[in-house]
Amino acid sequence: MSMIRSPRKWAGGMLCLALLLGTAPGASAQRAPISFDDYHGYTGTVEYLQAVNRAYPNITELLEIGESTMGRTIYVLVISNMRTGTTIDRHIELRNPRRENVQNVTPMKSYHGKPGQWIDGGTHGNEYTGTEVCLYIIDKLVSGYSSDDGLKTLIDDCVFYVCPIVNPDGVYNSVEGGNSQRQNSMNNDDDNDGRINEDGPDDLNGDGHITSFRYRDPEGGYVVDDVDPRVMVRLARGAETDKERWSVIREDRDNDGDGRRGEDSERGIDVNRNYPEGWYGDDNEKAGSGYYAASAPESRAILEFFTNNTNILLVQSFHTSGGFTYRPFARWPDSRIDAKDLAIFDKVMGKKYCELLGADYPAEWDVEPAPQAAAGQGMRMRPSGAPQGGTPQQMVRVQRQAPGGQQTTRAGGGGGGARGYDLPREWTHPYNDNADRPYGYGIFIDWAYAQFGSYSMTTELWNRSRDFPGMPEFEGDDVQAQQERWLVNYQEENNGGRFFVPWQSYRHPDLGQGEIGGWIAQYNSRNNAFPGDALRHVCDIHWQFELFKANLLPRVVVTDATAEVLYETNSATEASVTYQGDTATINRGRRTGAVKVVLVTATIENTGQLATQVARGARLAGNRNDAVWLVGDRDRITFLQGTAHQSIGVLEGVMPIPGIQSSAPAAGGRGQQQMMMQMPAGIPPEMMQQFMSRMGGAQPEVQAGNTREVKWLIMIEGNSPLKVIVTSQRGGTHVKEITLR
Amino acid sequence: MKMRMNWKSVPVLILAALVMAAWSNPASAQDKEPANPGGYHGELDFTISWKRYYSYEEWTKIMHDLQTKYSSLADIESIGKSRMGRDQFLLTITAKETGAHGTKTAMWMDGAVHGNEVNGVMCCLYTAWYLLTRYDYDPYVHEMLNTTTFYILPGLNVDANDSYVMWPNTENDPREPYRPEDNDGDGLYDEDQNEDVDGDGELSSMYIEDPTGNLKLSDDGRRFIPVASEFEDVMRFRSLGREGYDNDGDGRINEDDIGGPDPNRNYPYGWNLGAGWPYPMSENETRNAWEFQRTHENIFAAFHYHNTGRLIMTSVPWEVEGAAPAAGRGGGGGPYGQGRGFQAMTPEQRLAQMQEENQYAQFFDRNVAPAYRHDLAVQQQIATMGARIMKNYRPTQAGPPGSGQAQSNSYMSAGQYAYLIELWGTHMDGDQNGDGRVDQEERMLWLDIELTGEGWVVPHRFDHPDLGPIWIGGTMKKHIGRTPPARYIESEAFRNMQFVLYCASQFPKAEVEEIKVTPSTGDLLWVDVTVKNDRTYPTISDRDLEREWVDQDRLSFSSSSSITRVEIPEGSTIIDPNDRRTQGNVVGTEDPEFRLNGQSSRTFRYLVKMSGNNGWVEFTINSFHGGTATKRLNIRSGD
Repeated sequence: MSMIRSPRKWAGGMLCLALLLGTAPGASAQRAPISFDDYHGYTGTVEYLQAVNRAYPNITELLEIGESTMGRTIYVLVISNMRTGTTIDRHIELRNPRRENVQNVTPMKSYHGKPGQWIDGGTHGNEYTGTEVCLYIIDKLVSGYSSDDGLKTLIDDCVFYVCPIVNPDGVYNSVEGGNSQRQNSMNNDDDNDGRINEDGPDDLNGDGHITSFRYRDPEGGYVVDDVDPRVMVRLARGAETDKERWSVIREDRDNDGDGRRGEDSERGIDVNRNYPEGWYGDDNEKAGSGYYAASAPESRAILEFFTNNTNILLVQSFHTSGGFTYRPFARWPDSRIDAKDLAIFDKVMGKKYCELLGADYPAEWDVEPAPQAAAGQGMRMRPSGAPQGGTPQQMVRVQRQAPGGQQTTRAGGGGGGARGYDLPREWTHPYNDNADRPYGYGIFIDWAYAQFGSYSMTTELWNRSRDFPGMPEFEGDDVQAQQERWLVNYQEENNGGRFFVPWQSYRHPDLGQGEIGGWIAQYNSRNNAFPGDALRHVCDIHWQFELFKANLLPRVVVTDATAEVLYETNSATEASVTYQGDTATINRGRRTGAVKVVLVTATIENTGQLATQVARGARLAGNRNDAVWLVGDRDRITFLQGTAHQSIGVLEGVMPIPGIQSSAPAAGGRGQQQMMMQMPAGIPPEMMQQFMSRMGGAQPEVQAGNTREVKWLIMIEGNSPLKVIVTSQRGGTHVKEITLR
Repeated sequence: MKMRMNWKSVPVLILAALVMAAWSNPASAQDKEPANPGGYHGELDFTISWKRYYSYEEWTKIMHDLQTKYSSLADIESIGKSRMGRDQFLLTITAKETGAHGTKTAMWMDGAVHGNEVNGVMCCLYTAWYLLTRYDYDPYVHEMLNTTTFYILPGLNVDANDSYVMWPNTENDPREPYRPEDNDGDGLYDEDQNEDVDGDGELSSMYIEDPTGNLKLSDDGRRFIPVASEFEDVMRFRSLGREGYDNDGDGRINEDDIGGPDPNRNYPYGWNLGAGWPYPMSENETRNAWEFQRTHENIFAAFHYHNTGRLIMTSVPWEVEGAAPAAGRGGGGGPYGQGRGFQAMTPEQRLAQMQEENQYAQFFDRNVAPAYRHDLAVQQQIATMGARIMKNYRPTQAGPPGSGQAQSNSYMSAGQYAYLIELWGTHMDGDQNGDGRVDQEERMLWLDIELTGEGWVVPHRFDHPDLGPIWIGGTMKKHIGRTPPARYIESEAFRNMQFVLYCASQFPKAEVEEIKVTPSTGDLLWVDVTVKNDRTYPTISDRDLEREWVDQDRLSFSSSSSITRVEIPEGSTIIDPNDRRTQGNVVGTEDPEFRLNGQSSRTFRYLVKMSGNNGWVEFTINSFHGGTATKRLNIRSGD
């Protein structure tokens, strides 16, 4: 088995963390202090975001992008130097507007002219570890700005959009209320009794926490642990036992007397099944959640925000739990992903993620840019029908020589076989390769990749067995019980016993005598990182992952721009032509004085790692190619060749993509694609140029890669300032002024 | 599952009594003249000109004034705000004293999802006005408002609707809601819109004199037409496109006009990114409308107005591969089936035969899943009547529901029978030689005759600040090609209103037709009850039925204490093998649940035991859209 073995596990990770902290001791100015010894919930998060915004007004902006059903605001913290960057609308003078003068276009913010990275948490209310990771990342970014040159460059040149809580009602109910709520809230009559949200969970004993109620029940699925009677041990389904059986339920009663408990809470829909990509099933009927895709206020707020911030290229959504990351798709097989994007996802981002976790990844991911370099190396494929995954800790992998020993990186049909490698447990995709079946419908990252055009991924944070510093690696068939005992003691020693309530006798109004106690729901650590060291550990690994990705963002700049005067006269006049028979007569008109004919040449370069769009990004509705403007005094400039703005396709990044040939011209966006399609087959490149110029494209030649050279021939009456502006939707906007030579 | 508010609390008998009382003695109409088809005068109670288009301010004032005057029939509300902050006002029209709007089966109408298609606003406004002013005079309208609710949203895309009327525009703009969009990929949004350069209030076309051009002025000086040959010695022109400026200095004119996605590709069902960017229901205007439609589950049918081309586009189930072939279907699911010979014909032959009897007959040739055949037949029937009422409107079937259009969405997402009406079409009126289209000459003649010469922007010279001396003109004015000239507003609106009212008149009505008793042995009696729906529409659309969005019709039994129902185990008894009517309809222990098709009846048989000489049985049918009806039969035992 040719697995690449990364430094192992959290112990190594903690070492890295220590080193990282050590590199900038005390230098970071933390003007908005934050602790991870407890969860922030909705209230604490809002307070922190406001505090950060107050403390760092020059590099943050706090936006309200929507409101939940229960009236809670959805916030996005924008992190970018508000004093750097520019946007195209600041440079183009608009004349003679319609008298109607509708004000539907608002001026762009400077950060709209920078490549963007989106980070969110709390889409599922009970997965609030994601919120903490977002806050941790915010802290690292803002407090590191003044001390870390790398961070300063990122925050000057790029923009981070952090939305720690997508689903405020779910997070509020889960953290502040102790009532685990994955869904958003809705004013629905779930049980059809004419009343709305009348039967949710209850703090029966009034101690301010939702814990558990346990009671003796011959049908119960629990027994009291022999070693530590505070711990309840769940029996396997159908297991026999001589011990007394108990049932354990959430602290709850039947509020409306209909014989059911908690059947009409605020719980609404799963927001992460409410996005437009693949919301309908194969039969064209509803398969996602909600009345329709984007029906929920939360998903609509996100969709609307993205629509107005199309500079976002990287999208990270933090969920829990399991300790792995999902890249697209949930709805479709990998055959729907371009080979180039697949390589960026897996061999660039996935490899780094596995390294950060100390996890194994396929040897194929180590291929160097030249695809043949790894030829001859065995390819692992899963025999058809073999189960995916295996045990939670170890992947079942079977080595097999591929036919002909050929290596392929092409995304394949349904299964992972044609992809050329099995995905490791820590970096995978939700789609079920083996059964060729969607994981879900209407999922956020599917939309963000397929319809919006970003590299999107969901991380399922927290794997209790792996991510808890200091927790022994228990063995045996009662690992869960051993962990529980250890955790109850741990919180007693480290958290003053705040997270576990001793069992106390209680008479339940519906179920009779029993006991209330156990984990305070928020802290049971099954679905969320335990506050303190464990949480910090999880946060830090994912901060490093985001930092890695941020450094991949494209950055488009005008590296060079010159103007060469080809011809100059001080006594030009206007002229027109009349024809009479076979004679053309030139009529002189107004004197215009000094006139120059000028050749402007500009070099545009993407200095970032990734291209300015995902493989098919420029062709999606709402997206566009990179464009370059030549702007001067409109009254004095005439374009002889070239137009004021022109498309330059999609600029590749400087990073070679593992296993992928450098881009052919066809890799550009819509414009170039169409030109290519209209071209007869087999036409030599030199002839292609003719077609392109005739079709209005002013590109002097077919250009690819991460640079473009653009030329204009213009006439200037008198003098005019000149500037070349490149405006890339996801690669930023950059200006270079030219002085006439 | 649709739940109608307060349904159970409506005392049905009292409601029926109220209907009778209101109709036989309309208190408010005592001093007026009822029942006079020779001329009702309700319109004099609220005079309004139908010879002009109204701005947003004006049409919403008319709505408010109507509501104030007819407050017992109308409510007004804002269903939300547009992007630019205008309220989308909606009228709810029904006779309030016969029941709240939510308790009645309802019609939805929206006027203009496309900004420039403001004749839909006028159709909606006209329908509201017609219903309100005639309630006290016209028995047809009176009965309709007693039993039916109309939700009327004259302007849907209100920002653009208002702009179209108020500002110089081409007949095609502005069409979309005002979401900024970068049409030309230059990084700027809506930065190069069209402009009325010469300030004459019309948005026409620009031409420039050019010896190499291929256009010349027509002899009458009204149009720019191609030169006859390259040797023709005339002043030549070149087209510069629509009137406007190069606002952003990129050398192009009007290349990034206001507005974003097509709002009629923005609805959820069948939405796709390419047509409906950026996401389903992204626009406030469409979302507010659909949220109202979706949450008012008493809405049974929906009209969506567009232009142009005089089409009645009916929502019908989409084509299903492998469904029954064309010749073997069409009448299968409903009351409209024809004989066996008919089944063997080609669709063309069938239509020809049908049109021998009724020149307006329609035949929808589409393979649909078996569960949707009744709706296909129903819509065919409705479309036939639509063609009859609206004469030169052509019925069509809405295409496959694959692009987020309102009419498909109303049906597929909520089970509402839906109609997209393409209003108006000058090409039909102008066709002289009967070739089905209107060429330039015919169009000019039409303008001269029908509009007595109005409606044309005559080419004239103008000094364009950027382009120098040019010519502007040679096009029709705004309200001609797509929105009818003012003089035709009312005639178009009137016929369309009639069709809407016809459809509302065919909303299902569940009735207990008759109860019959047949003595069995001893003191046992067979009771046969027949329930029916005489209307064209079924009580539940095929879509609602298949998705189980509506409770089925339920027949319930009650009786005097002397009569008890004998509960027959399901399927245990064959009553009369020769009576096909009752086969399979013997009621066992459960109240029967079913759907009453359009123009259909069903008979159910009960076995009862009678003690003593007197008693009664009573049957109530309760239908979500078909209403509630009860009938009682007294039974007396002779000697």
